[in-house]
Amino acid sequence: MKPEPLIPPVNVKDISKATDTLSPIDLQRIVPLPPPYDEVDAATLWKELSADRRSEIDASLDGVSALSLKRPKDPAEEERLLKGFVAGLRKLLSKENNWTFLQPLQLTLDHCTHCQTCAEACPIFVTSGRNEVYRPSYRADVLRRLLARYGDGGNPLKSALTGPIELNWETFARLAELAYRCTLCRRCTQACPIGVDNGLISHELRKLYSQELGIAATECHANGSVLQLRVGSSTGMTPAVVRDNIEFIDDEMSEKVGFTVKTPFDKVGADVLLIHNAGEILAWPENPGAFAVIMEAAGISWTMSSDLVAYDAINYGLWYDDVQFARVALEHIKVAKKLKVKKIVIGECGHAHKALTVIADRILLGEDNVPRESALTFLEGIVNSGALKLDPSRNDFPVTLHDPCNMVRAMGIVEPQRRILRAIAPRFREMHPHGVENYCCGGGSGFAIMSPNNFANWRMLISGRIKMQQILEAFKDELDPSIPKYVCTPCSNCKGQFRDLIRAYGAWEKSRILYGGLVELIVNAMSDVPPGFLEWEFR
Amino acid sequence: MSVVAILGYLLLAGFVFGSLYKAFRYLMMPMHVRWELYPVAHEKGKVAYGGSYFEELDWWTKPRETSVVGEIRTILEEVFTLKAVRENNPSLWLPSLLFHYGLYLMFLLGVGLVVGAAAGLFGFPGLGWLAGGKVLSVWGAVGLSLGTVGCALLLVRRLGDAALRNASTPADFLHLWWLLAVFLASWGSWLWADRQYTVAAGFVKGLVSFSPAGGVPLLFTVQLVLLGLFLAYLPWSHMTHMFAKYFTWHSVRWDDAPNLAGEAYREKALKLLMLPVSWSAPHIKGDGRKTWLDVVQERGES
Repeated sequence: MKPEPLIPPVNVKDISKATDTLSPIDLQRIVPLPPPYDEVDAATLWKELSADRRSEIDASLDGVSALSLKRPKDPAEEERLLKGFVAGLRKLLSKENNWTFLQPLQLTLDHCTHCQTCAEACPIFVTSGRNEVYRPSYRADVLRRLLARYGDGGNPLKSALTGPIELNWETFARLAELAYRCTLCRRCTQACPIGVDNGLISHELRKLYSQELGIAATECHANGSVLQLRVGSSTGMTPAVVRDNIEFIDDEMSEKVGFTVKTPFDKVGADVLLIHNAGEILAWPENPGAFAVIMEAAGISWTMSSDLVAYDAINYGLWYDDVQFARVALEHIKVAKKLKVKKIVIGECGHAHKALTVIADRILLGEDNVPRESALTFLEGIVNSGALKLDPSRNDFPVTLHDPCNMVRAMGIVEPQRRILRAIAPRFREMHPHGVENYCCGGGSGFAIMSPNNFANWRMLISGRIKMQQILEAFKDELDPSIPKYVCTPCSNCKGQFRDLIRAYGAWEKSRILYGGLVELIVNAMSDVPPGFLEWEFR
Repeated sequence: MSVVAILGYLLLAGFVFGSLYKAFRYLMMPMHVRWELYPVAHEKGKVAYGGSYFEELDWWTKPRETSVVGEIRTILEEVFTLKAVRENNPSLWLPSLLFHYGLYLMFLLGVGLVVGAAAGLFGFPGLGWLAGGKVLSVWGAVGLSLGTVGCALLLVRRLGDAALRNASTPADFLHLWWLLAVFLASWGSWLWADRQYTVAAGFVKGLVSFSPAGGVPLLFTVQLVLLGLFLAYLPWSHMTHMFAKYFTWHSVRWDDAPNLAGEAYREKALKLLMLPVSWSAPHIKGDGRKTWLDVVQERGES
């Protein structure tokens, strides 16, 4: 049942109010989970920030802080920030500074009728008990009102019609945080009868803060794209470390599968340049290992690169900064050209798929337009070719599939992974809804790597809860811990979120729910490989 | 020429100019990066589940099959059944459907009057019924009934639903009140001044032939002024979503055209990459002289 709205509901104009917390998390209103998960008290997943921490950083939106913004030291600093914000507003609507998204942004700013058809499509809004500040239109309306009042010298009539709000520190800080309470899954956009894109608004707000003021999530920027451009990977791995780690993984794999597995590096003229999310190499080495096993068994001409940036498919700029995005994408392409490969295959990483295949497409001119392909499509090709001998009975346990938003809703890659699963996993079942109507894992747009302050708690309790609900529903008749279950998750960031979710909700202990990629399941079904490739260990 | 006629011309010109200006503005905006969202209505054979050409092995080597019919069918389904509202906001669907059908019928009636006037002027046969009469009278009554009921229900909903009211702007209320006033004034004209739309047809004929007649009834004038002001204001409001859908759907949501061989967008993209950047963050340091091409080739700093 839809709960009654908060009385009095927080209004868009309230964003500038000097209150301690504009719209706190209300644990009583969080959507419940089925037994035995109803015993996972929301309060055990939640953490209030201490008074000391609250005095250091701004968490006045909802009691959560993703950005650890510090209040300005003095009025001069505050004025500088607010002026920078107003300058950013103008740049956001200028052809010179924002040609990349100007038309979609302007269309969205101009056409929302506030019918709220988008609201129920948003898992964050719904799961939170319909917290008003998470309503998909809320942040968009703040932006519209600020543009009406401050953009291009302001327009008093437009401002009166949209409802004026004041730009002060509270508005500035809360709006910055609010841009990080949306996973950019764009389910709201899909629901909109007009095509208004509230997900894009979050993206553009992040961009404004980053490109004008240098304010971004540390995990995405300083420890993300900046680190990747400097040392080669956001994991901090240098080329030598990557080669060492892959060599170690190859040895492990060779021992496990009974034949030699050797990952080629920097092989000029190979058919395929495979780029993994480098996080896999450190956190889930069985994933690049399984890829190497499949490549070896299928006799593919392939290579990885040990050049800076090109051994890590991540491109966090996709979520917050067009410039950082383009810098990383061009590095990926540069190496593909150098190696003269026929195509780039992007490993199991959703945002890397969208970044290099879709978003970068129109800036890759001439020779830079090296063909890019999804690992899912590529793997289906291998499975269909008959190059692998597969025994589906080895995967005789319940399997469900998570659809990474960037591969599915943003790229339309829906069926290849399903056709593979139908061939190798006899007890495969869908989550509902799935495919292009899927729910985000709750870790999208960088959230899976962000855990400052109490943001990880918010991720577990709010943004990821509906996905947890879906997983439990998919396995509802087999939740008994004696039955091992597998959530196939062909995306690194989603896997990071699932690791945290399963741990937080105790789903491994309670129900033996494990998560992992698609390639691990394929290798687990290979007749040429000794049984038991999948290790039923939660980590 | 009467004041009403002059006002009619001015407001109509405002509507036409405003609409063209807005459409032209979107058309002139630079190419954006791809930002499609699936299902993409023209994907042949895959639209039912939201699939794309990325599902094909070596997709760039294969012919891309698209279907204009798919796009048209999706748009028509949305226009005539308000599918997205029905599926995602069912309680708002019926009021919205009544309201939109009322608007469609009244818009078509307006178009009919113009066609009828032109037919009369140029002597096209068989369109005399568009110069006023019982058909138009019933047409108008149905359109006004649907529009008035739909508009009133939407207004009641927006005022009565605390969450919806809270998420509304002053403009949202203004538009509904204004349209309700237009519908009620039109009822006034229908009931007491121009039930068979003969006055309206004569007035439109005068406008079309640039020889507008004066002396229209007061209730007709009230309706005309409220409607004219609304039409002149409409292009500057969010209500242009009727034509904006072409851009939001066709040019953004369904714009999945790949940059095959890197040539299709070369010229456009090169021009855009040469635009100056003035973003001020430390990792960009745009000074208004450096171009996109310059900044993306730098490594920046944190």
